[in-house]
Amino acid sequence: MTELSLRLAVSLAQILTEMGIVMVTVATMTYFERKVLGWMQDRMGPMEVGPYGILQPVADGIKLFFKEDIVPAGANKAMFALAPMLTMVVSMIGFAVIPFGPNMTMDIFGLTIKPFVVADINIGILYILAIASIGAYGIILGGWASNSKYSLLGGLRAAAQVISYELNVGLAIVGVLLLAGSLSLVEITEAQAWHWFIWGARPDGFFPIHTQIFAFVVFIISAVAETNRIPFDLPEAESELVAGFFTEYSGMRFAFFVSAEYASMTLVSCVAASLFLGGWNAPYPGTIFEYVGLEQLAWVEHIAWFASKVYFFLFLFIWIRATLPRLRYDQLMRFGWKVMLPIALANIIITAITVYFFPRG
Amino acid sequence: MTFKHWIKTITFYEILVGMKATMSHMLHYRPSTLQYPHEKRTLPDNYRGMLALLRYDDGTEKCVGCDLCEAACPSRVIRVVSAEVPGEPTKRYAKEYYMDMTRCLFCGMCVDACPVDALGMTREYEWAVYDKRQLDLNKEQLLAIGDRSFPVREKQLELQHPNVAFFNVAFKHLPQKPD
Repeated sequence: MTELSLRLAVSLAQILTEMGIVMVTVATMTYFERKVLGWMQDRMGPMEVGPYGILQPVADGIKLFFKEDIVPAGANKAMFALAPMLTMVVSMIGFAVIPFGPNMTMDIFGLTIKPFVVADINIGILYILAIASIGAYGIILGGWASNSKYSLLGGLRAAAQVISYELNVGLAIVGVLLLAGSLSLVEITEAQAWHWFIWGARPDGFFPIHTQIFAFVVFIISAVAETNRIPFDLPEAESELVAGFFTEYSGMRFAFFVSAEYASMTLVSCVAASLFLGGWNAPYPGTIFEYVGLEQLAWVEHIAWFASKVYFFLFLFIWIRATLPRLRYDQLMRFGWKVMLPIALANIIITAITVYFFPRG
Repeated sequence: MTFKHWIKTITFYEILVGMKATMSHMLHYRPSTLQYPHEKRTLPDNYRGMLALLRYDDGTEKCVGCDLCEAACPSRVIRVVSAEVPGEPTKRYAKEYYMDMTRCLFCGMCVDACPVDALGMTREYEWAVYDKRQLDLNKEQLLAIGDRSFPVREKQLELQHPNVAFFNVAFKHLPQKPD
């Protein structure tokens, strides 16, 4: 009984730490996105609150928290309240299986835990795919429950878009799974100890024939589409649908939708880093801390590598947003089904053949 | 589709060119915006801002109540109530003078129309108010704007002949008044 409660307490502490990190990342991202977009468009971005506007996320949070909570007339109140919660929760719990640091164990109060992953379950990537699909429900529900034509159109668009592009995400991952021989994100990351899957990793050496660069490109494009970001932001297209599925939302519910968007951006960045760019592995074998004799601190370097990969992807999302205009809806669908899907399928076939002829050692 | 086009398509060449452009803007960061309440841009010399009524150096109003500004105004901003100067039947002045600045489009035609240069355009532009009735300005308010924007005032010309007194201008061929 005491062991169970202790285990619960330790897990809860781990979850809270990870939640905190994700929420801080989300807050930083809201600031950083506005800043980087501003710089790329010859503007300054937020400058008023604090030095260089650094307290803007805090000001936004306080403002949204104290705003009036409006439920539109004719809206389905229960569904209307459920939608932002569903989206937020779903985008947060995906982080449970992401390995932030090396796969090491730690003894604490007589328990053996893995400090850098909340739940090392052996179907990690499947879990993330399942969770990401539920996120679409939040958007569709929010669009439907608002009793507004713009919201409904946004929700319908989100439904079609997320279904089309989730398929490509799932198929792009298959090549990596064939190479790693596991669904656990921890094991997938460990299999890329030196050579990343994007170049064709193998535990026993470098095999460029296994390269997953096409799968990587398909995954990144589909991830942008799945998180409803520009150039695939049709569910919330400002110039057509006011704000799409969250047109009628205000205050904290609006904040939930927005932070869920940033959290799912961070989640797909973490997944992309873990699957294709070797997660917490450095691009060279081992770590610098090991060479200079500080093996105890090797995890710091691993975490730094993971964070830099994730932030590279997050920057890429902002960079793409600053560059590209929105796609038309038929272009989006044609691109998803006629371009991305065949590439992903071809990648599976080629990877399967190469893995058959050059099996893992 | 040629081979070159095909290569460009599969490598996202056009998108990469666009991303290079945005990145170069970020690296050569030179904002074209100003932090408005803290820094303000320099106004052009012929800037047409808030309208004002002017005075002569002895403090008398320039306005002779001729109504030409009211006639010239395309959006009917100005309303003048003209009256005789008490005791001087040949002279007139604006007893009441109103400007509804909510309608003004700052074309400057009233200033051009004024025969005695009684109207001026200042360089003031921060006139946002919470109640738009505050923008219906009367004569005192317009004179106050003129007082704070044009501290150097014109000398009043003494009029040589009662017949031209109305227009308050000097004519070279008429004998000048000794100083």
